[in-house]
Amino acid sequence: MDYVSFFQNLSNGVLIGAVYAMIGVGLTLVFGVMRTINFAHGDFVVIGMYFAVVFNSVFGWDPYLTLIFAIPLGFIVGALIQKVLLARVIDAKPETMMLATLGLSLVIANLLLLIFGGEPKSVQVSYAASTISLGEIRISVVLLFAGLATLAMISALYWLLNRTEVGRAIKATAENRLGAELVGINTKKIQAIVFGLGMALAVTAGVSLIPLLFASPVTTGALFTLKAFVVTVLGGLGNIGAAIVGGLILGVVEVLGASYLDSAYRDAYGLLVFLAVLLVKPEGLFGKTVKRV
Amino acid sequence: MNKHILILVGLFVAAALYPMTPAAFITVGISVLLFTGWATSWNLLGGWAGQLSLGHASFVGLGAYFVAIGSSQFGLAPWWSVLLAMLVAAVMALIWGKLTFGLRGPYFALSTIAIAEILRLIAINEGWLTGGASGVFIDTLPEPMGIDLFDKTTQYYLALIYAALTIAVTIYISTRKFGYELKAVRDNEEAAMAAGINPTVIKLKAFVLSGMLTALGGGIYGVFLSFIEPHIIFNLLFSVQIALTVIIGGRGTIWGPAVGAALLVISGEIFRTTFAQANMLLYGVLILVVILALPRGLVGEYAHRLIRKKYANRA
Amino acid sequence: MQTVLSAENIKVQFGGVIAVNNVSLTLETGQVLGLIGPNGAGKSTLFNAITGFAPVSTGKVTFLGRDVTHEPAYMRTRYGMGRTFQTERPYEEMTVLENVLVAAFLKNAHRKDAERVALASLDRVGLLDRAHQLSSDLNLARLRRLELAKALALEPKVLFLDEIMAGLNPPALKEMIELVRTLTATGMAVVMVEHIMEAIIQLADHTIVLASGNKIAEGTATDVINDENVIEAYLGTD
Repeated sequence: MDYVSFFQNLSNGVLIGAVYAMIGVGLTLVFGVMRTINFAHGDFVVIGMYFAVVFNSVFGWDPYLTLIFAIPLGFIVGALIQKVLLARVIDAKPETMMLATLGLSLVIANLLLLIFGGEPKSVQVSYAASTISLGEIRISVVLLFAGLATLAMISALYWLLNRTEVGRAIKATAENRLGAELVGINTKKIQAIVFGLGMALAVTAGVSLIPLLFASPVTTGALFTLKAFVVTVLGGLGNIGAAIVGGLILGVVEVLGASYLDSAYRDAYGLLVFLAVLLVKPEGLFGKTVKRV
Repeated sequence: MNKHILILVGLFVAAALYPMTPAAFITVGISVLLFTGWATSWNLLGGWAGQLSLGHASFVGLGAYFVAIGSSQFGLAPWWSVLLAMLVAAVMALIWGKLTFGLRGPYFALSTIAIAEILRLIAINEGWLTGGASGVFIDTLPEPMGIDLFDKTTQYYLALIYAALTIAVTIYISTRKFGYELKAVRDNEEAAMAAGINPTVIKLKAFVLSGMLTALGGGIYGVFLSFIEPHIIFNLLFSVQIALTVIIGGRGTIWGPAVGAALLVISGEIFRTTFAQANMLLYGVLILVVILALPRGLVGEYAHRLIRKKYANRA
Repeated sequence: MQTVLSAENIKVQFGGVIAVNNVSLTLETGQVLGLIGPNGAGKSTLFNAITGFAPVSTGKVTFLGRDVTHEPAYMRTRYGMGRTFQTERPYEEMTVLENVLVAAFLKNAHRKDAERVALASLDRVGLLDRAHQLSSDLNLARLRRLELAKALALEPKVLFLDEIMAGLNPPALKEMIELVRTLTATGMAVVMVEHIMEAIIQLADHTIVLASGNKIAEGTATDVINDENVIEAYLGTD
């Protein structure tokens, strides 16, 4: 076996997986607190992508620079969406919330379509083709930056959750909403905050990915949402650490599967694993939430 | 029930006369009718049994592909291909249902998405069978009794019969034991079990019926399109459209799917000329409206209020 | 006199918690068995284990001569168990009549017959005039009667009532006790889990008391009320 190319693929897989992880963490965070599957999550990522595209084409900014605005904006918009829309159906059947996010997804995707048109867009960065060498393995700079951005965001999230009062409130709400209310936590506010965080994470992922991929308003969103689902289900919904692992696993499975098995079915491998986990071990590889009736 | 049958007959006659009116939009008519049929079929599973499927395009694709491949590769007449497709749809629904019905609502929906996606990828990649990404053409079709199946008006009547059939099946079920078993399982599964109902069997029956009827419409769709491509057919958005049509129109009602189909297809056509392909925006906005204000869907809310009013008048 | 139901050494364990610990009971034809105990005693769990809504860890449930220990709930219903639920479970989108129809269809495949049985059942519980009202519009007392009507429409051999008296105001309570009495007068065997002692005193032929998963007393209602173990279980040691 060719060890160099194996490790090459592995490193690519891990880096891509890191970004998947960031997307997945956003989704699972929201799930943990709101117990809802957010169909619009992938579209949030696409919003991030278009954000970078606009700033790049109008101001010539590097995508990572736009993060200065993208992260806070993403947070605020996300929190608003939760407050105005989703908070109203929080106590209905879980399917209702899911349908609401589906509607949201359609609205976002089609508004993007109306504004930007249907052709795929991307950004050109000067370092698009650069690589760094680690021994015999070449690591794409873009992928590396994406991995670093993920590391930064997830570390920030970790700090937030474990070292701040807000973070403690979030964990309490995720654990037991009623219990949290009883000790005086404003769970409605927490839910809005968490949704905002989820969107901020998604938007960051979008910005990190735009140098690598093309943004297409309608299809890209659904693609990322599906990937996010795979990641979170693999790890177990509500479990952040597991989402990270899940993301890495997905990245590696896709890259290795595409390289050593049939590359055309690249997207299918993740799906098959996803289905298998749903059917065999629905709590995910590490999770605790019950998905079975 | 009688009043539903009367409505059905009345609508059938009106629809049958439609193509003869001047400036009749036959293609839009076909779309409305096919969507009515698919939505009504979806309703059996999603509205009556309460299992939200976001992968029903799989069954449409099954019907369309079987007809296309049947005629282009095996010289099979479309009615045999469709029958075969319905059989396969039944088996697929059975296996799929058995595997996934244990999952709670949102997870079941996710699994339907995953399965439909996998089918799409198979259709793209197994080119030897499906023509791959470039699709399949239906060149020739037999002419039973001299009827030209490529003629739009003929297709319209086929679609009309299909839509009427699905509604008739729904009306029939609504008064029988099966209909009540379905609604009981949907409204309160534990209570249904206490009433002696096996929820899994009921859901499976609904899934099989729903899948078969959807595939039937898919076959007609295949003839209508005469060119089948995986992106058009096994499309997540397509599945979503079918599901949302019923949710907006009214799950679990008899006429909800038809109302939803008529509303959405027609406004989609109007929207398309003004807003290009963003007509899904309409679905998105309407579903949000329904969720926030009219949870039972248009027809569902109307029927709900009607029952209340009728009882109040009685008392 | 024939034993219609027997539960032998039933143990129900969830993880590390033993909810029901080695409890046995029998029910004869036409007998009304009361099952009481303080909160958390395990009576609902035992009830659920017998009717098929909770798994039996060890032990055996025999119903009309059949071992139903591992049979799913819907099969037990088909064998003749008819139960109500403590938290009412109406089919909310359906009318009162339709709710009962669902149950009536068990033994009557045709709509006409099922409707006849359903209407008769509604009549028995006094809800006939509300047949076409939406079940979600009923108040608590009527919802209870609807639960009962649904169970009756199953034409059961044994009726299982899960705290059917709970939360009823005095007039409604009196009505419900009378209603159940008319049912038992026909010879129907009944198992009733109850908190309301009045109902037990008036209706039960034989009563079993559970506390912390164990059977601590058994006998007629007056016997068990005066049993010091029972008093201690309800009031706690001082």
